[in-house]
Amino acid sequence: MAVDMAMPILVVDDYKTMIRIIRNLLKQLGFNNVEEAADGQEALQKMQGGNRFGLVISDWNMEPMTGYELLKQVRSDDKLKGTPFIMITAESKTENVIAAKRAGVNNYIVKPFNAATLKAKMASVIGDF
Amino acid sequence: MPATDVASKIRAALDDIKSTDLDDPRLMEVLGLAENLVEAMKLFFGSLDTSVHGEFRYIAEYIARTRDEIAALRPNDIREARLPTAGAELEAVVNDTEKATETIMSLAEDILALEPDSLEHYKAQVDEKMMAMIEACSFQDITGQRVSKVVTTLTHIEERVSRFASVMGVLDAEEEADEKDQWRKENLLNGPQIDGPATGQDAIDALFDGEISDEQLNQGDIDDLFA
Repeated sequence: MAVDMAMPILVVDDYKTMIRIIRNLLKQLGFNNVEEAADGQEALQKMQGGNRFGLVISDWNMEPMTGYELLKQVRSDDKLKGTPFIMITAESKTENVIAAKRAGVNNYIVKPFNAATLKAKMASVIGDF
Repeated sequence: MPATDVASKIRAALDDIKSTDLDDPRLMEVLGLAENLVEAMKLFFGSLDTSVHGEFRYIAEYIARTRDEIAALRPNDIREARLPTAGAELEAVVNDTEKATETIMSLAEDILALEPDSLEHYKAQVDEKMMAMIEACSFQDITGQRVSKVVTTLTHIEERVSRFASVMGVLDAEEEADEKDQWRKENLLNGPQIDGPATGQDAIDALFDGEISDEQLNQGDIDDLFA
């Protein structure tokens, strides 16, 4: 099935510049419908508020709700649990990668990353585009 | 020394202590008072028993040395000058990098959005933006110097504190973390590692592609440490 290039993507990061970088990369990849949230709590509110996101791309280190907590909340919510979720973080300790995988993350990108890596990981989660 | 003189010295030392605001005692003042008291008592007990005199002399010397070591630590200099300056330098680094990133990213976005009417016009516009990008990269020189100053300050503090801890035989007390610190400790990660990511993207990819299991990733990383 072809990927819907108009699907809304939620980018969650407390660092505005990183959101801007990801937004630009997504634009270059052909995805223009991008929403943003500054932490897990804001992201969860947007998701539970009725917005249906085709993909969540989230940082881990955020306050007051981390990306890992957001992931667990999403996976335990019947309406949201099927949402594709990619974690992008500077932290890559093995135990954390495994914890995220066990919590149901679909893929994991280590910062710094490039457009090719983002595209490859997105394709592995939502299909080729 | 006559007993009456010793008694009056002890009384004077005790009066000093009483007149001190003990709700807000300053360590150096307390040490000074303790030193006076011990000196007075040393004279008195010294006339009675030489072994007690020796003990008091040791205590008096220890207090004097503690005071000297605290003075050598120059805590006021660290608190009032060095740490605020280092903090200001780091804040400037954050601001400089943020400003440069903003400039470079805006220029890149401008280039991506160009709709040229001719090749020459397009080249001229790209050249102009690229030159501005190169100029914006000059922030690295300034931030490098700022970070070096902060490193020097940290080294300076580390040396003084290490010397103090070593001379005084200081042992670390239990860490008292407030609620916020505790939450951060339990939930936030440590951020980027020195010398690159702890687990490379390739190893993570292999885990998500099902090529290796969780346990294998653990073992592989341990093996890497010993390679």
